[in-house]
Amino acid sequence: MSGAEVGQIAMNALLLSGVLAVVALGFALVWGITNIVNLAHGAFIVIGAYVTFGLHDFWSMDPFLSIPISMAALFALGFLIQRALINQIIRAPLLATFLLTFGLESLIVNLLRFFFRADTRSVMTAYSGAALALGPVRVPYIRLGALGVSILLVLLLAAFLTRSRLGRAIRATGMDVDAARLTGVKVATVYAITFGIGAALAGAAGSLLSMIVPFDPNLGGGYTERAFIICVLGGLGNVVNVLAGAAAYSVVEVVVGSRLPAFSQAITFGMLVLLLAVRPQGIAGKAFS
Amino acid sequence: MRTLSALVILLGALPALAADTLVFGAAISITGKTAKEGEYTRDGYQFAIDRINQMGGIRVGGKTYQVALKYYDDETKPERTAQLFEKLINEDKVNLLLGPYGSSPTGTAAPIAERYRIPMVEANGAAESIFSKGYKYSFMIISPARMYLRGIIDAVRAIDPSAKTVAVLGENESFSKEVAVGAAEYARGKGMNVVYDELYPTNAQDVSALLTAIKGKRPDLILGSGHLQDSLLTVKQSRDLGVSPKAMGFSVGPSTPEFRANLGKSADYIFGGTQWTEALEYEGDDPWKTPKAFSEAFRATHPNYDTTPYQVAESAAAVIAYQRAIEKAGSIEPTKVRDALAAVDMMTYFGRIKFDARGVNVYKPMAVEQYQPDGKKYTVWPREVAEKPPVYPMPPWDKR
Repeated sequence: MSGAEVGQIAMNALLLSGVLAVVALGFALVWGITNIVNLAHGAFIVIGAYVTFGLHDFWSMDPFLSIPISMAALFALGFLIQRALINQIIRAPLLATFLLTFGLESLIVNLLRFFFRADTRSVMTAYSGAALALGPVRVPYIRLGALGVSILLVLLLAAFLTRSRLGRAIRATGMDVDAARLTGVKVATVYAITFGIGAALAGAAGSLLSMIVPFDPNLGGGYTERAFIICVLGGLGNVVNVLAGAAAYSVVEVVVGSRLPAFSQAITFGMLVLLLAVRPQGIAGKAFS
Repeated sequence: MRTLSALVILLGALPALAADTLVFGAAISITGKTAKEGEYTRDGYQFAIDRINQMGGIRVGGKTYQVALKYYDDETKPERTAQLFEKLINEDKVNLLLGPYGSSPTGTAAPIAERYRIPMVEANGAAESIFSKGYKYSFMIISPARMYLRGIIDAVRAIDPSAKTVAVLGENESFSKEVAVGAAEYARGKGMNVVYDELYPTNAQDVSALLTAIKGKRPDLILGSGHLQDSLLTVKQSRDLGVSPKAMGFSVGPSTPEFRANLGKSADYIFGGTQWTEALEYEGDDPWKTPKAFSEAFRATHPNYDTTPYQVAESAAAVIAYQRAIEKAGSIEPTKVRDALAAVDMMTYFGRIKFDARGVNVYKPMAVEQYQPDGKKYTVWPREVAEKPPVYPMPPWDKR
């Protein structure tokens, strides 16, 4: 393996981990705080991708500028879905939450297929394919931009959760619902806002992915899976844990992919099983703090 | 009273219809993942059947049969396909079988055809593994998977005999794997050096790891075997990573209109293997004779199609092969039709139709299409039936 190849592999892993961090963050937040494993997370990602695609296609809006719109739309959708549906089963057994979010996923994907058809879409800009050359290593501008957006979102989320009153209320609810309620936190509202933030992050991830990969309404499933693995690898503890999970996952996927591509999924899942056998609680604890 | 007379007419008409109508049965994916392709398949079958009826039907000995299609939706579920073929045979008593859409459903339908000794001509399952089981009643009208990328290798070698190195990346799935294995074998047989040959998992969202490895090997030719999204991803990420071979080609993707819609100018110079295009200059002995005439006739009756997909052409060709075999057999007896099919050798608008001992049409070459810088897609191979010569080499991404 040449030096150039090693450099490119390291860069690929770094760029991938940025996007995957955004993919997993919303999923981890919802799981950690409300204890819902949201199987519709991938479907939210796909909606985000279509928001960006639509704004680019009809109004030629730059895909990066559409990210806030995509996030706002998904926040509203997530908030409403939590209020109307998820809240009904918030105390129900895990299986009920699986069934509901799985059904939601099917519903959203089929609606998207109905409105947008199963055609494959891409968001192509003037700078698509252009790249910064760091010696022999190429850094595509779009992926660099996506990494920048990821870092920004991670910092904003971390600041929000630790510095703001609402963020602290969210964390408090995640730690102990009853104690939070006793101190005057409106748990139902906190849950809906948390779910909305999770959906907004999925929307941002979808907007970023629409620039990077060709997609159709089936894009999301694979990302729900990845988000799940990243959460188990990193643990739900806090933002840093999710970042660590995303980085670990990306390194494995890219390194194994460059040597034994046919086995990359098998090895990634193998690693997950191994980790669960050794440390069933994940690398870190469970509650989001 | 009116109902009664209608019933009488219906009863009177039914036996006559049953006696003089030859029914082809098929389960096709009208819904599910390959719904669109399934629709093309059905429309191709029906188009050929309508044309035959318009010309008076199929002559068998002294008798003339009208032809009809009886089909069910298999929802793109291979296990459903098998059940529906049983139903077609046992309940609907169809005379002969046409294949479903896709290799997996075709694979579950073939043993049913075999068990009931009713032939099935299939036009949409290119995996040869189906034909390695010694079945006698299944026939594949299309070029098999391992031939998909041969035309591209031949086209490149014809222009540039110094192109020596090739990298192959394929989706880890039965059809694409056969395509990749076939391409690598063929390239080696032509004296080329296969410098990279790997598979990636189905539904891959990233092939940059493979392309990074390929970049270091500097191949003259990169061949991809997967589906539309894989081809799009490979082109996009090659551009991102500055992977610039002299030529790049795919088994599936470039033949669909979505390819350019998604890639814009990045689609230029890319080769795609295809079973058929309307630009091929074949002269056939069939109701349409040429690809152009076939395509024009199809679009005249199907104004909702902008172009004629190859799935329509190959599906119609399956019906044409039956027409020839039934006329030769002088019987609609399934086993006799089967023997006549095994002996068919005809030139059609679709290319040559002839089956090897396994029932695979290895005699029709794969055509090659290329997006050229004028923004259009041309059929560039095989040379003697092509529209335009291929443009080669592909300029590096940063020099465009």
